Amino acid sequence: MNRLQTRLGKLELQNPVTVASGTFGLEYGEFFDLNRLGAYVTKTITLKPKIGNPPPRLYETEAGLLNSIGLQNPGVEEFIKLNLPELKEVLSIPIIVSFSGGTIEEFTTILSKLERTDGIAGYEVNISCPNVEKEGIAFGVDALVVYELIRRLRSFTNKELIVKLTPNVTDIVSIANAAEEGGADSMALINTVQGMAIDPLSGKSRVKMGVCGYSGPAIKPIALANVFKVAQRVKLPILAMGGICTWQDAMEFFYAGASAIAVGTYNFVNPKACVDLIDGLDNYLSEKGATLQDIIGKVSF
Amino acid sequence: MFNRIIAINSIEQLNESYYVISVDIGESVKEIRPGQFFELKKPESCYPMLRKPISVYDIQSTKVSFMIKKLGKATEQFAVMKAGDKLDIIGPLGNGFSITEGNKAIIVSGGIGYPPLYYLKTQLEQAGKTIYWLHGGQTSIDIFPADEIWTDDGSAGNKGFVTEGLTNYIKNQKPDVIYACGPKAMLKACHQIAERNSVPLFVSLEEYMACGIGVCYGCAVKVRTDNSIGVTYKTVCKDGPVFEAKDIVWE
Ligand SMILES: Cc1cc2nc3c(=O)[nH]c(=O)nc-3n(C[C@H](O)[C@H](O)[C@H](O)COP(=O)(O)OP(=O)(O)OC[C@H]3O[C@@H](n4cnc5c(N)ncnc54)[C@H](O)[C@@H]3O)c2cc1C
Ligand SMILES: Cc1cc2nc3c(=O)[nH]c(=O)nc-3n(C[C@H](O)[C@H](O)[C@H](O)COP(=O)(O)O)c2cc1C
Ligand code: FES
Repeated sequence: MNRLQTRLGKLELQNPVTVASGTFGLEYGEFFDLNRLGAYVTKTITLKPKIGNPPPRLYETEAGLLNSIGLQNPGVEEFIKLNLPELKEVLSIPIIVSFSGGTIEEFTTILSKLERTDGIAGYEVNISCPNVEKEGIAFGVDALVVYELIRRLRSFTNKELIVKLTPNVTDIVSIANAAEEGGADSMALINTVQGMAIDPLSGKSRVKMGVCGYSGPAIKPIALANVFKVAQRVKLPILAMGGICTWQDAMEFFYAGASAIAVGTYNFVNPKACVDLIDGLDNYLSEKGATLQDIIGKVSF
Repeated sequence: MFNRIIAINSIEQLNESYYVISVDIGESVKEIRPGQFFELKKPESCYPMLRKPISVYDIQSTKVSFMIKKLGKATEQFAVMKAGDKLDIIGPLGNGFSITEGNKAIIVSGGIGYPPLYYLKTQLEQAGKTIYWLHGGQTSIDIFPADEIWTDDGSAGNKGFVTEGLTNYIKNQKPDVIYACGPKAMLKACHQIAERNSVPLFVSLEEYMACGIGVCYGCAVKVRTDNSIGVTYKTVCKDGPVFEAKDIVWE
């Protein structure tokens, strides 16, 4: 049996290594065979094209990366017409489409359009974006809204429905519970942590939009704590991310209860990070004579 | 495009701020177009963790060299490396300059805008073009060989902005094309001069980068387009770094 095999809700994955939305593209096919991944997750798409935020959009701080891309994407129609065919052409692994909206209506409209195409294995619902019907407060911070959103989306699809949780909430477990009750199949966590940097000499914000998303090694302990807390209280399988660079990082998340992981920011540092991670895991588990399933959730104290 | 961890062939300090690193990439040099860049990283560095974009400055047989200015953490790290030390590189990246019709080209560089234009110049020369190069910098430290030199403080060449030199030169001899790289303000001034004189201008832009290969949309530049709002953001790393100046929204 394949010792790396894992299951994320309805999806059977050849290994637990996927890529974090917005940090990956077919361009990485120049560096390794993308079909070695467990699954492929697209950048978040929205109903209408989005041009994104004004630059500068990035800044590296000690141990992490700040970003404020503003969900730049061509919109769902163009995605279906141009991007999806390219993905299907190259990939034989499950394709998971990340999407987002400003209203529940927008989410359901996108999903119904995507449901009319083929080649998609599942969806990752990005709820870190502002809810325009609730004064722009992120969808992901309000358990009732999350429940309602997922319940509505569930009625449109039988495919894998992954809810991507934001760590910028008071109680992530209550949000995860709401996603489960709404009918999600699994959860992805964490999205970026809020962060900011200012040039100490000029007083100017390093990133044009000011407060933005923080990712990379700095957020790994935060992600791990969130994954552990959610795994203790919610039954849905977890796709974990946040600062994962190496197979050892991934092992921490499996012990904490994750069924699969995603590499984000570290792809920029090592374009072969995902395959290095897969090979590292495989070697380690083989030496240990264990399978991934023996590890998941088995943290000890 | 490739990713390799490669030994530094040589490193030469030009002055207190600038140095040249060269690496031997074998047959891969054939892929490189002028204006393209590599993303460099000291392999074991945790901070900075990200790679840094550095233009191709010159190519000698199978060796590609980078001319770098010490500006911050990464460029200071590279500066103290020695021949034989390992550098982690991805490249060649970006679109690069295309060598256009016409015979007379002007090159305008400011400070660390010099390196990509140097390799372009060697290629323009090979194509038999006539070139006039104006280079400007803050002080004499920022000055490298060119046909006409400008410094802000007058410590080398003419005192003033290099764009003054461009205005004067164009008055007498209208070129077929202008190529420029340097600070945004300089490029914007070049754009205005080129517009007034109806000369096509190609600029190489800089923006903070993460992936360097067009996946993260971090290195955005605002350009004109024919969508409903008339503008969009393109990536400097993949769509650029070279753009025709008239397509850019100069803010
Ligand atoms: C396509 C492209 C080609 C480039 N080619 C070259 C080259 O051939 N040679 C070369 O020396 N540099 C080049 N640069 C600029 C180089 O990438 C930056 O100087 C470098 O990233 C700075 O990193 P650092 O860690 O040393 O500085 P940091 O610690 O990141 O920054 C130190 C200071 O420099 C400023 N700074 C950082 N990046 C830039 C930038 N891109 N432009 C202006 N100021 C900046 C910061 O605001 C800060 O004040 C190029 C950039 C791009 C986008
Ligand atoms: C440049 C960049 C762009 C991102 N874009 C998205 C996005 O479009 N949708 C999304 O759900 N998450 C996005 N994220 C968040 C990542 O998917 C991931 O949740 C987060 O970065 C934590 O993982 P990491 O530390 O491994 O990067 C983005 C992150 C970065 C750094
Ligand atoms: S640096 Fe990632 S798209 Fe340009």
